[in-house]
Amino acid sequence: MKAWWIVPVWKTLHYFAIAALAGIVGLVDLRIFGVAKGLPLRPLQRLMPWAVVAFAVAAASGYALLRINPANSLGPPVNVAFAGKVLFLLLIGLNDILYFATGLKRQVDGVGAGENASASAKIVAGVSLALWAGVVYWSRMLTFLAGAI
Amino acid sequence: MQILQQWTETSAFFIWLRESPSIWAYPTVFFLHTIGLIFTAGANIVISARLLGAAPALPLAPFARFFRLLWIGVWLTAISGLIMLASDLETTITNRLFPVKMTLVVCAVALMFVLRRRVFGAATPDQTSVPPSARVLAIASLVCWLGAVAAGRFMAYF
Repeated sequence: MKAWWIVPVWKTLHYFAIAALAGIVGLVDLRIFGVAKGLPLRPLQRLMPWAVVAFAVAAASGYALLRINPANSLGPPVNVAFAGKVLFLLLIGLNDILYFATGLKRQVDGVGAGENASASAKIVAGVSLALWAGVVYWSRMLTFLAGAI
Repeated sequence: MQILQQWTETSAFFIWLRESPSIWAYPTVFFLHTIGLIFTAGANIVISARLLGAAPALPLAPFARFFRLLWIGVWLTAISGLIMLASDLETTITNRLFPVKMTLVVCAVALMFVLRRRVFGAATPDQTSVPPSARVLAIASLVCWLGAVAAGRFMAYF
């Protein structure tokens, strides 16, 4: 019998990490869109390694929660929400790889205070925001869609 | 109070919200609450981190522009939260952690006003130096947001 507080402690850690991650991703993406244009993007993007740290914490605490209650996410039957979440996380990874591999990240680093980011950077930022919102959606639906198929 | 309870228990909307198996009922309101709070709390955490020394090259004044979106986040979280509260009034209101969470949320939102006006609104256009009082506000804001999120998670277990 596990102590009652173990699950909420992991969940709290999971939420802290997600909030930090969403905060960094959200503010960087919004700035690329043109909100708070007075912020130069190079120093803002310096926060991105912290988003990676936050993602690692979210992944580790998520894995711990998965181990504690595997049926909630993994089924059987297949949980559509969990499948959707994993798919969207993979798409985010792909989007991020494209962002770095195409040199877009470096181009965005050159966007100074008061300047506009390129249209392609805005598309990548929009895709990032939509996919992250999707990940939150699938996560919230985990318990509701368990056993839906 | 009793009238309020009667209304939430008998109104068609709240009955639908509570009892409908549709994914567009309670789960959707819950999702809006989650996305609103994650964005609002997350952005506030990053803003506090900036005041406490992260990304020191960023000027302070432009951050004021983020606050309009943050208020949308606050409203989204508050309205969806109120709907969920009304749909399950008795359980939530008797939860011992609920007043703790609400106190932290009210303090956190009040600190947003103060930070917006006294720190970001008062900064000169290129100012990057953080006044000591702003650091205190940043720590208080961080404690309130993280505390509110933790209290929200733990509420389900009380």
